[in-house]
Amino acid sequence: MEKTFTEKIQINKRNKIAGLYPATKLQIVILFSISTLIINSIKLTDAKLALLLIPWFALVPFMFAITGEFKKSMKSMKPIFVVAIFIIAVQTFIVSGGQTLWHWHFLSIREKGLQTAISLGFLVLNIAGMFTWMLQSTSTKEISRCFEESGMNFKVAYIFTSSLEMIKVFSKRSQTILDAQRSRGVETEGNLKVRAKAFFPTIVPLILGGIIGSEDRVLTLEARGFSIKGEHTHLFDLKKSGYERRMLVVSIIITLLIIAGRISLWRMK
Amino acid sequence: MAYEIECKDVTYTYPLSKKPAIKNLNLKLEKGKLYGVIGENGAGKTTLCSILRGFAPSFYKGTISGEVLIQGKPLSSYDEQISRKIGYVFQNLFTQISGIKNTVFEEVAYGLENFGVPVEEIERKVVDIMDLTDIMDLAEKSPFELSGGQMQRVALASVIVLDPEILIIDEPTSQLDPQSAESVFKIIKKLKERGKTIILIEHKVDLLAEYSDEIIVLHDSQVIKMGETRHVLSDLSLREHGIQLPQVTLLAEKLRESGMRIDELPITKKQALDLIQEKRS
Ligand SMILES: Nc1ncnc2c1ncn2[C@@H]1O[C@H](COP(=O)(O)OP(=O)(O)O)[C@@H](O)[C@H]1O
Ligand SMILES: [Mg+2]
Repeated sequence: MEKTFTEKIQINKRNKIAGLYPATKLQIVILFSISTLIINSIKLTDAKLALLLIPWFALVPFMFAITGEFKKSMKSMKPIFVVAIFIIAVQTFIVSGGQTLWHWHFLSIREKGLQTAISLGFLVLNIAGMFTWMLQSTSTKEISRCFEESGMNFKVAYIFTSSLEMIKVFSKRSQTILDAQRSRGVETEGNLKVRAKAFFPTIVPLILGGIIGSEDRVLTLEARGFSIKGEHTHLFDLKKSGYERRMLVVSIIITLLIIAGRISLWRMK
Repeated sequence: MAYEIECKDVTYTYPLSKKPAIKNLNLKLEKGKLYGVIGENGAGKTTLCSILRGFAPSFYKGTISGEVLIQGKPLSSYDEQISRKIGYVFQNLFTQISGIKNTVFEEVAYGLENFGVPVEEIERKVVDIMDLTDIMDLAEKSPFELSGGQMQRVALASVIVLDPEILIIDEPTSQLDPQSAESVFKIIKKLKERGKTIILIEHKVDLLAEYSDEIIVLHDSQVIKMGETRHVLSDLSLREHGIQLPQVTLLAEKLRESGMRIDELPITKKQALDLIQEKRS
């Protein structure tokens, strides 16, 4: 039998991790971030480097993999890798202070530089990586339903959802244009000016429309019963995957172990 | 019997504005009729519609005097449910989509969700309206990826689905190509057949001549002429107020000037044909 439209708009994920309830994903990300900060405070070697952050980062691609979205997520990590490498390079060679560890002509690496480079670079990689995991495996629709279910004010929820949706549309549209230009032989890779030129004509009217249209938009929503009191219907049914508890318990245990480890290291001193 | 909409000497001024945008408005609109509203830019057409829906003054603030009655009761006595009584399709195409839905189906369903209509009923109603507005093949597309004509039909569908008895439609074809404009008019005609009272702001007088029952002419914040469509649109003096008349009317006027005897100027092609046929025999 032909599916109804209501059935077609449902999201059915086979992967239990991808299908985790969005709020659970956020809790996991927060726990992971706390753990990352604690690990960052553990300094190894004579130069006091937060080296444990490096193996800890393996958890990010691991999460991508068990979510079944490894490739897609790694691809969207590209800009984060670029930023992290930039931070590491700049911090390593520029920040001065402490002993000189390495020296060649005008280049030198000082202790302080390496410390901040590793800390900052891997903090960014770890935390941004985990947020990428959450956002890549969750659709706007799921996030917005989760907002509503959490009892957030419906106007605030609307602003969040429409912003997320806008960002998605923008990035998709600019990509489409770049692709189209590339196929016509226009150089778009790297050339900032061409990129800007390709971007401008589509983005500007959209943004302007967004600003000017906000009064009209309010009335449009009003005409469709946006602020009606009483129970609303939700065609989209946000499901739980059933792994919420398990994943949360595992995350809490890991976080507690890391805290315990941190404390025992203090004791040892 | 009460009129569907009645305005008694309504004058409305926007905040910070010295001059009223609508002056001494008196209207008696009957159920099931299609009213065309014409007038130059800035004449007050959109403001008139905002008054009928109550957005002026409830949203725009400003000052209003006189009385607006919907089905015999003051507009102010209706609560939020007014959205299901009076549907409003706005002038600006691109602000008509909610901005939070992934598919046209969900976009059209949005109003019904807000009103708490049960899921099965939403599905049924949305499918019915998507069929009426000819957007069934767009159902799973993103509302952000539509052409102007498609977007206008989706905007219409999103309002009609609430099944309002009165529909206000502000310049639905001004940003569309002729073909899309024609298809929008076809939808409006079907709505009329469903017994809706329709207030339609529109510049394309040739289309109005064909579809509307009565015409309201606004000029400089006031109604300067109102009445049965043929009576209004064959009034040549309206041209002095920057209002275009139908092509056939202007042609017939030329013929009249050149000596042909024409009692009543035609406003539609059909009427013009009848006239020619009559002259030939
Ligand atoms: N929100 C507003 N605030 C103040 N003045 C307005 C507003 N909207 C319209 N006006 C003014 O009211 C008059 C009528 O405008 P409008 O009803 O939009 O005309 P139309 O739809 O016939 O083009 C114009 O002079 C316009 O500048
Ligand atoms: Mg207008």
